[in-house]
Amino acid sequence: MQDNQTKPNGPVAAAFVAAGIGSLVLGIFVVLSDAFTGINDFLKFDAHYGLGSGVGPLSGKVVLGTLAFVVSWVVLHFYARGKEVDFGRWFAVALILVFAGFALTFPPIFDVFVNLLKPAA
Amino acid sequence: MEFTERELWAVIHGLVLGTLFLLAFGGGLAGIYSLKERYLTAEGLAERSPRLLIGTSVMAIVAWLTVLTGTFIVYPWYRAAPPKGTDLTNQAVLGDFPRSWLLASDKTSEWHNFGMEWKEHVAWMAPFLATAVAFAVIYYGAQLARRGEIRRAVMIFFTLAFLAAAAAGLFGAFITKVAPVS
Repeated sequence: MQDNQTKPNGPVAAAFVAAGIGSLVLGIFVVLSDAFTGINDFLKFDAHYGLGSGVGPLSGKVVLGTLAFVVSWVVLHFYARGKEVDFGRWFAVALILVFAGFALTFPPIFDVFVNLLKPAA
Repeated sequence: MEFTERELWAVIHGLVLGTLFLLAFGGGLAGIYSLKERYLTAEGLAERSPRLLIGTSVMAIVAWLTVLTGTFIVYPWYRAAPPKGTDLTNQAVLGDFPRSWLLASDKTSEWHNFGMEWKEHVAWMAPFLATAVAFAVIYYGAQLARRGEIRRAVMIFFTLAFLAAAAAGLFGAFITKVAPVS
């Protein structure tokens, strides 16, 4: 319920969900990088774009995760600014995204997805 | 008594920034938890708000600096490949190549396959989460005392940011002990 004496909660909800999106995108690229050599090569932003030297595919994963965080934050901020949203629902979505991201970076879990996705040799 | 350039960056990344992060987390969490209208007078709220803002902002900035220095300065030294023709099963010749040194033996390979693989990725969630927390504190300021559900959400994200950084920091310390970047 809105507290009339405080600012609307939309922008904060947007920031929380954006952090979740950044986490999930990072986790997805962790899996894809290990599962597909083509994506692994694509993620070598250090070699392709000079972002760091010797960082390897981690450079692409963190750049794309950060971009996902920033871009989704901007988009969601403009959608939610000035609005009082159902914060509980937005935060639940943010938590699900964050935990999915956590799970996809955890080796015993991401190995399961990598083995499922990896093309047969 | 001196550090090599690599050891110095490893200390800045892990010890200096890591310690700042822990201090900012402890102070920030206590500040957010106690930021309740019924606990504080108007003067108390006004006095605490800037401190909370500084604590959460420092935590977010330090989280970014930690992952940036770790990924783009220290990590390339960790994963540097030995010259072609080097025996990748002989740890005695791999001392300058921590990743290869760890992978050369079944007794140490899990430090890379589990520890480093998790650390290098999960660490990057800390700045995302800490930035969202800092934004919430900057946006609401003292008004956060009147928004219980947002204050609770901030504490949860703040704690998750800490856990992500703690997992990364713990494995970083262990891996540095086993196979230092030097």
